Amino acid sequence: MAEPVNITFWHAMSGSRLGVLESIVDGFNEANPDYEVVPLFTGSYAETLTKYVAAYPTKTGPNIVQSYEVGTQTMIDSGAITPVYEIPGMLGETWDWAQYVIPITNYYSVEGNLWSMPFNSSTAMLYYNKDIFEEAGLDPNKPPSTWKEMEEYGQQILDSGVVDHVYSTGWPDWIFEQALAIHNHLYADNDNGRSGLATKVVFDDDFGHMIFDTWTRLHDKGIYIFGGSEYAPNTAFNSGQIAMLIQSTSSLAGIINSADFRVGTSFYPRFEGYPVGNSVIGGGSLWVTKGQSEEELRGVWEFFKYLSREDVAIQWHKGTGYFPVSLGALKTLLDEGWFSQDQAYLTAFLQILSGRRDTAAATGVRLGPFVAMREDFVSSLEKALAGQLSPEDALNEAAEKMNLKLQDYLELHGQ
Amino acid sequence: MNEDKFPGHKILPYILIAPSLIVIFVFLIIPFAQSIRESFYTSTAFGTHSIFVGLRNYMRLFASQEYRSSVVTTFKFSAFVIIIGLAISLGIAQLLNQKIKGVGFYQIALIWTYAISPTVAGVIWASMFAPATGLIPYIVSKVSGGYSLNWMTNGDLALFIVAAAATWKMLGYNIVFFLAGLQNVPDEFLEAAQIDGAGSWKAFWRITFPLLSPTTSFLLFVNMLYAFFQVFGLIDIMTKGGPGNATELLIYKLYRDGFIHLNTGSASAQSFIIFFVISIVAIFQLRIATRKSIYSR
Repeated sequence: MAEPVNITFWHAMSGSRLGVLESIVDGFNEANPDYEVVPLFTGSYAETLTKYVAAYPTKTGPNIVQSYEVGTQTMIDSGAITPVYEIPGMLGETWDWAQYVIPITNYYSVEGNLWSMPFNSSTAMLYYNKDIFEEAGLDPNKPPSTWKEMEEYGQQILDSGVVDHVYSTGWPDWIFEQALAIHNHLYADNDNGRSGLATKVVFDDDFGHMIFDTWTRLHDKGIYIFGGSEYAPNTAFNSGQIAMLIQSTSSLAGIINSADFRVGTSFYPRFEGYPVGNSVIGGGSLWVTKGQSEEELRGVWEFFKYLSREDVAIQWHKGTGYFPVSLGALKTLLDEGWFSQDQAYLTAFLQILSGRRDTAAATGVRLGPFVAMREDFVSSLEKALAGQLSPEDALNEAAEKMNLKLQDYLELHGQ
Repeated sequence: MNEDKFPGHKILPYILIAPSLIVIFVFLIIPFAQSIRESFYTSTAFGTHSIFVGLRNYMRLFASQEYRSSVVTTFKFSAFVIIIGLAISLGIAQLLNQKIKGVGFYQIALIWTYAISPTVAGVIWASMFAPATGLIPYIVSKVSGGYSLNWMTNGDLALFIVAAAATWKMLGYNIVFFLAGLQNVPDEFLEAAQIDGAGSWKAFWRITFPLLSPTTSFLLFVNMLYAFFQVFGLIDIMTKGGPGNATELLIYKLYRDGFIHLNTGSASAQSFIIFFVISIVAIFQLRIATRKSIYSR
């Protein structure tokens, strides 16, 4: 018997997600004796990207690499990638891309063509502690749906003395991007960098300043507590120290498992009177390195098809809280009553599927130096919350720094 | 003449030092030269395309308010770690050098911090000060009647906590060396001073401290390198340079620009600047230290 073809797969999935990923890979290897997918945890998303960048010129890179959504433009411009939409054609197959959840594939598409395989996709939503709501005299089945209500309910919860602070958010940079997208507001020019490389950011207008003002005001009142980046504030929510959390849907399984109170979920709060957009996709996707042998490419493709299988997509969703990327999996989950067991799993779906998907603003942002730009944003937000700068100056400072980075990127990548 | 030492073997000395030279060239000189070259370029993330920009990377750094504040932060941080750290260590070492019961236990208890990895130390300190769940903000809030101590929005506090953690982490190492130094101070000297009527304070400053100077100057140098380079792990675990840029030390900024933002040009320029500053400080320190230290008694 011939040796199986090795397909190396670098990823950034740690914690409980690692176990789910490994069991999926084992399932594939068992079902496909011709191929052996070898997963390798290469650190955080940023570390994985750094390693990939270092390995590519020496041809020691993997067949498949996972990248976070902010690395999308970098990957597209790298020249190191075979776009996913070309793969079936290269192997003499056809594939129907419409079987995936459209807002997810839209994010990773350039001019309608899918560049990377959606794998772990999430969006942001509101989590709240129903017990604290009740203790504070609020209706546990009526979470705030606007930022005005966030403030009113927040004040009531504070006054009741049940908790010292009311809400926090993970990923403040991403939560801000969500606020823009949900109101169909662009983040950067050239259609959020989707129709051409962006030349400047456009959030430093009245709307952006209004968001920044609101957050700073809520912080000054003690309603909002800044809890750090990524998943750091989850601890405060899980231990009942705060009543609400705006966080990635990928935290859902973890929160439900560790909370000893009734967890409610709802849509991301809106600012009244502004246009409707959609919440955007975060998380990661899988990229295929250019220049592989046909044999290897076939293995990669078989693996991607396996990931899209209903049962596999469902296994991934239930184990992590990430979206199952295919519509078929969604229907099966619905049929088996998964969503009525715990409708918290449905919130995020309804949110992304009920929003509009025909504008760039609602599809998501794609920028070359996005990782660095997000840091500029967070450091400005921190300055505004600490009172070092007025909210207006802080946001303008972020915009200024980001524009310089966009200009540098243009200089290197423009025609 | 040098050749006389190896008569008839003109090349032998060169062959003998070749292995070290090769290692130095391959791992130090060549990468160093490369990074100097890269500091004059701006490159795409994957290095597929570079543009020569002359001194622009340097100019931008010097013009950037962020970089200047990173320099100030680094000096504040280093001053804290070196001065406060060494003072406390010396104090503790002096106490540990007494003839008391169970001194071995105290010695180990105070020295073991050095054996903790930066990751673990960072996690311990970060969870002690976690804004909503940490023990210390909880105590502060109870004692003060509701003051919320949040180092994630208070830059000065964050810098202080990180500096305190870094100092704590290095205490063990400093104490070991000071203790060894103190044990080498001959008792006769101190006894003689006592007989002449010097108090223990005076005896310490006039006899012990000067005799410790080789240890002190060595520790000054090691602690400087520690404060500049080795605190990376602690910063990465605890604050990632935040809030704002309040704890963004030079070494951490370099890492972020080079490895997260994939901006090799700027990172190379920064590494050259750090190299330059450290070399100057090191030369000064070694000059002064070797002149002032009392090595023999």
